[in-house]
Amino acid sequence: MRRTASRRAGARGWWVWAGAWAGAVAALSWSAPADAQDGAALYAAGCASCHGTDGTGADESRIAFDDPLPDFSDCSFASREPDADWIAVAHAGGPVRGFSETMPAFGEAFDGAQLQTIIDHIRTFCDDPAWPAGELNLPRALITEKAYPEDEAVWTTTANAESPGAVVNEITYEKRFGPRSQIEVKVPFGFAEAPTGEPGTGGELDTDWGGGLGDISIGVKHAVWHDDQSIFSLATELVLPTGDVDRGLGADAVRVEPFAAFGQALPADAYFQLQGGVELSTDTDAAEHEAFWRGVIGRTFTSGEFGRAWSPMIEILGSTALEDESGVNWDLVPQMQVTLNTRQHVMLNVGVRVPVTNTDARTTEFLVYLLWDWFDGGLLDGW
Amino acid sequence: MGGDMKRPGAGGSTPLAVGLALVLAGSGLWIAGGDARDGRGAVVSGRVALSAAGRVTFAGTPPAGDPIDMSADSYCGEQHAEAVIDRPVRVGERGGLAGVLVHVRNAPDAAATPEDETLLDQVGCLYTPEAVAVRVDETVVIRNSDETLHNVRVTPEVNRGFNLGQPIKGIESRRSFGQPEIGIRVRCDIHGWMHSTIHVLDHGFFAITGPDGSFTLPELPAGEYEVEAWHRALGTASQTVTVAAGHPVEIAFEFGG
Repeated sequence: MRRTASRRAGARGWWVWAGAWAGAVAALSWSAPADAQDGAALYAAGCASCHGTDGTGADESRIAFDDPLPDFSDCSFASREPDADWIAVAHAGGPVRGFSETMPAFGEAFDGAQLQTIIDHIRTFCDDPAWPAGELNLPRALITEKAYPEDEAVWTTTANAESPGAVVNEITYEKRFGPRSQIEVKVPFGFAEAPTGEPGTGGELDTDWGGGLGDISIGVKHAVWHDDQSIFSLATELVLPTGDVDRGLGADAVRVEPFAAFGQALPADAYFQLQGGVELSTDTDAAEHEAFWRGVIGRTFTSGEFGRAWSPMIEILGSTALEDESGVNWDLVPQMQVTLNTRQHVMLNVGVRVPVTNTDARTTEFLVYLLWDWFDGGLLDGW
Repeated sequence: MGGDMKRPGAGGSTPLAVGLALVLAGSGLWIAGGDARDGRGAVVSGRVALSAAGRVTFAGTPPAGDPIDMSADSYCGEQHAEAVIDRPVRVGERGGLAGVLVHVRNAPDAAATPEDETLLDQVGCLYTPEAVAVRVDETVVIRNSDETLHNVRVTPEVNRGFNLGQPIKGIESRRSFGQPEIGIRVRCDIHGWMHSTIHVLDHGFFAITGPDGSFTLPELPAGEYEVEAWHRALGTASQTVTVAAGHPVEIAFEFGG
């Protein structure tokens, strides 16, 4: 999953903010908010009556609605989203991110600075620093792996723009464990054009299309370090020879792919991400050992104050076989990711992978993925 | 004078066992064509005009209502020396039914929307007044006069809804509605007993009855009108009213019985 500081879904469909009556209110007045910059006091005045003084949710006997309330002290919930999404919901109400209409809009009661102090106070309810901040959950590129551990499902389709034709799909399922870890499973399948060995009508070899399974892989990732703006992870994938070799959908060798990933948030919703690793094969005749390095840089723009997020990015991909002199393959992948729904947990990314070197042996590819951050709600929720 | 009554949402013409009466009285205003003066000396120029006034009453014994438990928010309870009773049917002196919207269904062409603002306040954890009626695009000022948080959740069916958090005493929010709509619900999700109604009309010929059930409509040109009374719990009643030159009109609606 990806996100930037100025967007992303809140978490789950049960955001319900509201406010407190609380004794602290007595210290406030509309004309002279005495504790205007005190996040705890503002939280007490505007939030605590529904969300509880400790963020775990008020007792049902004290509120007049049935919507389940989130637990702000649950780090798994409270750490995932960047401040900007919390502020969006607090300012404009739950519907701005496809959440409950019971969450009111406080944009006329608190200004942006006051809302930030409230969010800062809410952040104190999760006191485990092991959870990386939501600001580090950067937009997912088409190729480069993220450092942030995620709960998401991604359907990626790659189509060759030139002959031989191939359309390959890959379904990726990622599941987060604890504050820093994640497992993932990738299942590729597709259709590819392959020569039949018979001459065609034009004299060239005839081809036909066939479909099959690709090489399934499983992987683990662990974020070993992070601060407020950066995150670094180590990961490895095990690739199994389940694919159709004749169709070019797989290689007849088990491979292990250890890699490192780094994410860096930059000012103004910009960011870059890096990934580097090797792919080691059990049979170099079937699949060569390979080193790869990838980088992506981008920035996210928002339609209106809290609207759709657009993230133009460009990836630079490099790889080389470790045991021959075939040289380095360089590719460029310009792309655009966009959030599709109001909750912003369903996204689309479209791009094209253009070979820069060894262009005779490699074709241009069109890529598209549909991403569903399933932790934030059902695929049909929040539209 | 014939009429029909129906409950909101019941689909139009379901009659209630309600008696209606229209009384035409021959006292009060004098009217003439062209420039004219009403009984208070105000100039009524260029048309034949008459005020229409009346009362809405409730026949029989109204429901007793239930005491409101404000213990969830001690501030609210402290604002009332005596127990507050939630009365969906509020009946005053001589059976007057309060909070009823009376409006002309086939009103003359509307004049420009007034620039006035209509206040819907929250005082002692109750909406004041219990219902407001405004013109299309007229501003409703929603104020919190309490030292406790209220959220104001407005749920129209035609217009766009909203939900405002008002955590600070004295805060005011301004909203307007672009389409006519009767009976827009307003409630507080924190204090479940708080509910109000906003009516939006595309003309100015409406009024909400006071504690004694009385109302006064703005002056109407001579003609035949269908006048409707709307109550959240009791439904609607309507009757045809003929406004004639030289005759003030008194309208009476009766619910219950």
